[in-house]
Amino acid sequence: MTLYLYIPGQSAVHRLHPTVKLAGMVCFFVASFVNDRPEFILPITLGIAALLVGSGSLPNVHRLRWLFAMIGLLTFTLWSLFYQQGGDPWFTLLGWIRPSWQGVHYGAGMALKLTTFLAVGTLFLSTAKVEEFAYALTRLGLPYKLGFTMTLAFRLVPAFVEAGFTVVQAQRCRGFDFDRGSFLQRLGRYVPLIVPVFIGALRRADNMAMALEARGFQSGRQRSFYQRYRFGAADSLALALAVTVAALYLWMWAQGWTRIAPSAGG
Amino acid sequence: MAPAVGNPGLAASERDGAFAIEIADLTFRYAAGEGDALRGISLAVRPGEYVVVMGRTGAGKSTLAKCINRTVPAFQGGELSGRVRVLGRDLEGCQVGDLAGQVGLVLQDFEAQLFATDVVQEIAFGLEQLGLGQEEMHRRVHRALELVGLPGFETRDPATLSGGEKQRLAIAAALAMRPPVLVFDEPTTDLDPVGKREVFDVLAAMRREGHTMILIEHESDAAKHADRIVLLDRGRIVADGPAADIRRDVALLARCGVRPRDADRIAVALALPEAVASTDDLAGALAAFPLRPSDPSPPAPAPASEPLVEVRGAHFTYTGGKAALRGVDLRIDAGEFLALIGQNGSGKTTLAKLLNGILRPTRGEVRLAGEDLARLPLSDVAGQVGYVFQDPDQQLFAASVREEVSFGPRNLGVPEGELEARVRESLAAVGLAGLEDSDPFLLGKGQRQRLAVAALLAQRPRLLILDEPTTGLDYDEQLRMMDLVARLHRGGLTIAVITHSPWVVAQYARRGVLLSDGGIAFDGPLRDLFAEEALLERSHFRVPAVTRLGRRLGRSVLSVEEFLALSRP
Repeated sequence: MTLYLYIPGQSAVHRLHPTVKLAGMVCFFVASFVNDRPEFILPITLGIAALLVGSGSLPNVHRLRWLFAMIGLLTFTLWSLFYQQGGDPWFTLLGWIRPSWQGVHYGAGMALKLTTFLAVGTLFLSTAKVEEFAYALTRLGLPYKLGFTMTLAFRLVPAFVEAGFTVVQAQRCRGFDFDRGSFLQRLGRYVPLIVPVFIGALRRADNMAMALEARGFQSGRQRSFYQRYRFGAADSLALALAVTVAALYLWMWAQGWTRIAPSAGG
Repeated sequence: MAPAVGNPGLAASERDGAFAIEIADLTFRYAAGEGDALRGISLAVRPGEYVVVMGRTGAGKSTLAKCINRTVPAFQGGELSGRVRVLGRDLEGCQVGDLAGQVGLVLQDFEAQLFATDVVQEIAFGLEQLGLGQEEMHRRVHRALELVGLPGFETRDPATLSGGEKQRLAIAAALAMRPPVLVFDEPTTDLDPVGKREVFDVLAAMRREGHTMILIEHESDAAKHADRIVLLDRGRIVADGPAADIRRDVALLARCGVRPRDADRIAVALALPEAVASTDDLAGALAAFPLRPSDPSPPAPAPASEPLVEVRGAHFTYTGGKAALRGVDLRIDAGEFLALIGQNGSGKTTLAKLLNGILRPTRGEVRLAGEDLARLPLSDVAGQVGYVFQDPDQQLFAASVREEVSFGPRNLGVPEGELEARVRESLAAVGLAGLEDSDPFLLGKGQRQRLAVAALLAQRPRLLILDEPTTGLDYDEQLRMMDLVARLHRGGLTIAVITHSPWVVAQYARRGVLLSDGGIAFDGPLRDLFAEEALLERSHFRVPAVTRLGRRLGRSVLSVEEFLALSRP
């Protein structure tokens, strides 16, 4: 198992400066966040889709296809059925379920918004190494420790999940059955799982701390970066484009154009 | 005590006899410890020397190593007296980080030493902390990759490497910082035989580059390329001298809990005059020696009418599509002692996990005493097949030994009144009687491993599967563990051991099952398996040195004792 989505490549997106990748991600997050109207979000979605294809990130979309489908369909269905902000419901069931055109419209917007979020995140993680992320955060003035902690999370979470699975197997060999008893009993029953995973994590953390210091982590020296990142014309262009899009949508939002107005019938 | 001997070839590079490491009267007691971990250690290591520190678990090897890079007392506090000087600098008041670039450290747990998402970034990590320029980093990264034999791996994610490759990467990462002193704390313990050999070869190459190296090990094969061996016992240095001399002091090694090499044991027992370094030398020296022919192997016992466990046409594919087993047939009869061998990823652990239903075959079936395992409830299977995981810490959780051992039987519905008897019986079997009220986490590694066995014995299984039961134990504990398993076998328990350890296979198992690439490559009596030289070589399994020697001399031999018996008229 791995959380790591980076796909090595030489596409224009891959070659962007890490700070531009990070800023671009934030810009597209903002642009889709302030929007409720699917027709306005759609251009961003299409743009990101084109970048996903162009950068060779489709394998990750495929990997996450269930997540995309679930978030998209679930959001759309729920909002379409339960939208309460007025509208002219086609019919009402149990007083709660009242599908309407506004609901469907809003639901489509929410679904598109969330899937676009996911797509932007996927694009970023497919084209930026965790080290680039850490570097970008450092360049933006955040402490290096923060970026490094994130890198570590990518290494550790899968390791812990794996350790958890092993412990589950080991205790099953001792006749341990998870699905027995009430909720409280079950909580108590998790002790045989939690203790070994926790002890293992502590021991590993201890070793990691030693290994890190032995390699000079936080030795107080000015740290350098192995990877050389040049800020080129393409970076300026990409950054300008992303900022313009975000600014445009923020302006539209300020004008009140991006909201779906509750209809008079509500 | 033999005098310390430097490497004469490097004398010219020394500054006025300066030592790379100088330890004087070092005594250390851990904050939580009962006795002194180190007592009055004095040791001087010349630049370019390759010193192997050996001894049993708890002898103080690791503590000594950690004092050299200051992780003791910085991380594991305690009372330290005496003096440690590294490269002429007194470590009193020094931080671990101050020594980065001076002393490199490689630990047993290779997973805990890798932080980056590709091989190059991993090696560069330490160099970045030193603040080096990019050109310099680039040069050093590539030099380090060459030294550990990993060119071509630059863009690989460390998580996708094999154990041996991961440890070589950790070495490269330490090496790239160009520390004059390198400390290795049991770097090969968790590796398979191929991984071990890879790492020892890298160490031999580094020795030629003139690094001062301290290697903590309890395997005597590690000492093959070393200049000098330091033997520790209960915190004291009991011997310190040229590697060739100490290796041949077989009795002393055994007293210190270190397994002597087969070749050295034979050379000493037969009083061969000149030092023999390798099996080849020994075979040459023994060519004219009168040896009786080996006894004919006993006929294989007739198969029982009904197998205890039977695997038929089993396939197993992990989620994600990796096929671990492709059509395996295996029959285990009651009373057998079999070894499952094969390199990492060959499918042996997957197969073992099918035997007790932790995993279900994607195709094919597993039958336990004639019944389809898939139809049996968990409690039935757990009561018949016990599985001891490699790391006891993945199983132990309870606050007392008694509670730990009764956990399994209680889950299986054994009445409370009977539990005490089961606890007593299992603890007696593993030699832990009297420790009922102890905290399992305060026991030593070997005791915890035996406690894990007791916990499964209390379920009174008919088949006991042990995954790498000797990994991480010193020789004494390995012997105690395997003698325990042999005793259980004589008592009627059927045993299946997954192991990489050649001597464990040779001395205890009767039948060998070799897995390769998800299929069974060989299944039969052990002597027949050990005769399949090419097959084993392809599977990266090394038969014991004494078996290789026997074959060179036309004999089938599994242990040193057996070989020596042939040499007696």
